[in-house]
Amino acid sequence: MEEPKRIQVIRIGAEAIVSKLRWNGFDLISKHRVPKPYRIPELDRWIRDKRTIHEAKILVELKRAGVPAPAIILLDRSSSTIYMQYIKGIELKKALDELDPVRIEKIAGKLGEIVGKMHLRGIVHGDLTTSNVILDETEKIYLIDFGLSSVSDDVEELAVDIHLLDRSLESAHHKIRERFMKHFLLGYSKIVGRDRTLEILRKVKEIRMRGRYVKRGG
Amino acid sequence: MAEEKIVLGIESTAHTLGFGIVSTTGKILANVNYVYKPKEGGIHPREAAQHHSMHAARGVMEALRRAGISPERIDGVAFSAGPGMGPCLRVGATLARALALKLNKPLLAVNHGVAHIEIGRLVTGARDPVVLYIAGGNTLITAYLDGRYRIFGETLDIAAGNCLDAFGIEAGIGPMPNPEVKAREGRKIHPLPYRVKGMDVSFSGLLTAALKLLKKGIRIEDVCLSITETVYSMLTETLERALAFTEKKEILLVGGLARSIRLRQMIEAMAKLHDAKVYVVPPEYAGDNGAMIAWTGALQLLSGLVIRVEESVVKPKFRIDEVEVKWRNLNGSK
Repeated sequence: MEEPKRIQVIRIGAEAIVSKLRWNGFDLISKHRVPKPYRIPELDRWIRDKRTIHEAKILVELKRAGVPAPAIILLDRSSSTIYMQYIKGIELKKALDELDPVRIEKIAGKLGEIVGKMHLRGIVHGDLTTSNVILDETEKIYLIDFGLSSVSDDVEELAVDIHLLDRSLESAHHKIRERFMKHFLLGYSKIVGRDRTLEILRKVKEIRMRGRYVKRGG
Repeated sequence: MAEEKIVLGIESTAHTLGFGIVSTTGKILANVNYVYKPKEGGIHPREAAQHHSMHAARGVMEALRRAGISPERIDGVAFSAGPGMGPCLRVGATLARALALKLNKPLLAVNHGVAHIEIGRLVTGARDPVVLYIAGGNTLITAYLDGRYRIFGETLDIAAGNCLDAFGIEAGIGPMPNPEVKAREGRKIHPLPYRVKGMDVSFSGLLTAALKLLKKGIRIEDVCLSITETVYSMLTETLERALAFTEKKEILLVGGLARSIRLRQMIEAMAKLHDAKVYVVPPEYAGDNGAMIAWTGALQLLSGLVIRVEESVVKPKFRIDEVEVKWRNLNGSK
């Protein structure tokens, strides 16, 4: 077996380095949580290990819940690295510029169902923006980057997911925002139910009023 | 250039009753502070308020004496309108209203958190920093954006300073800096809840868990090491995210906990990774003080942010993003 080869660094975040790898003819993604020189090494190792395992568990849980997300291929605890499936496609953020209204409605509804399934399972994405949604060639939707995800069924946390998605549309796609959110919520309420959706929407409104998340994640 | 004006500022949000006299050009003429020290345990709002009432008159006279000016030279009276403890806030507000009416000068309602930031910028020379405001009652990560100090992260429960102070008091070694001093003799780190959500933090579970370790008979030095390292790591990490997010190149530490040597070390190590410069407010202006209220009052006076006596209510939950920071676009970003 050959060693995986790094072919491209995709993103250097505050916490991790995401790269694309080539391994025995397959494309993979690696997410490596880098050591932080400011933390005591013991504590640093412990935190990176805990987060890596947490993210891996979430990815497995998503598969069980039927939420399309990258499949885990390998977890290397010694280097705090997750190797996962590479999803060939484009970010929803970019796709929205080119799609016609009918297809946008369809995608929004489908995304609503996927997020609904995730929430029903008690998983909060934590950074749900149009950059973290991937469309593949067949327009199948995947959610990516669960680095800030958590397990919770607290209305506030679920509402933050919806709020962040809305925000990201508002900043980059304000013209289609309303149409998109309408169909997103139709799909969402199909899965979680009308009452729960309304409860969460009330919370979204409250968060918005607080002005608390104004410049975050948007 | 407008004529130099002089502002008297009164701070009384919690332990400290402070009087500052500062000019609109940023000269600090007086900074007189009286700190209430509870006989045991934490702060009792009514007792603190009594302490403040007792020292009020003396404080004003002492500040004027040190500044070497007569009361008529004052061009505005500023007070800390919040956030803070109601009974304490009302002492400062009442005094400020009386002085403003008596001297017939404008009244300036100052946000305590904004004042910590502004005095920090004045004395360190930081221009446009990401600010970590850490004190007994507050933990905030904030930066100036579109006319306000926006809150990027904050504690979801208790403040970082409160967590360490309460731990020290419960453990019988006293509040900060004692837990940090003891931590220097620590050898082993014990895992404690590390709760970071994006740029927000939570400390209450950590405090409970640290006290449990003590009860289990773990060496106090090791528990001190574990709790301080965990709290500071959480703060440094969230600050790093805010720095990356805002793409600013300066960090400013303000508030009582800015005195921590270890926290500063960690933040400097993190800043190096991002080519950012770290500014730390000097100890004299780190804790609550009168000068910061006077200086922020002076900035407000320059930008016309005055308040009528009838409207000058105290706001125990005053958030820093409620304040329109008009002075930051007066001349560049001074």
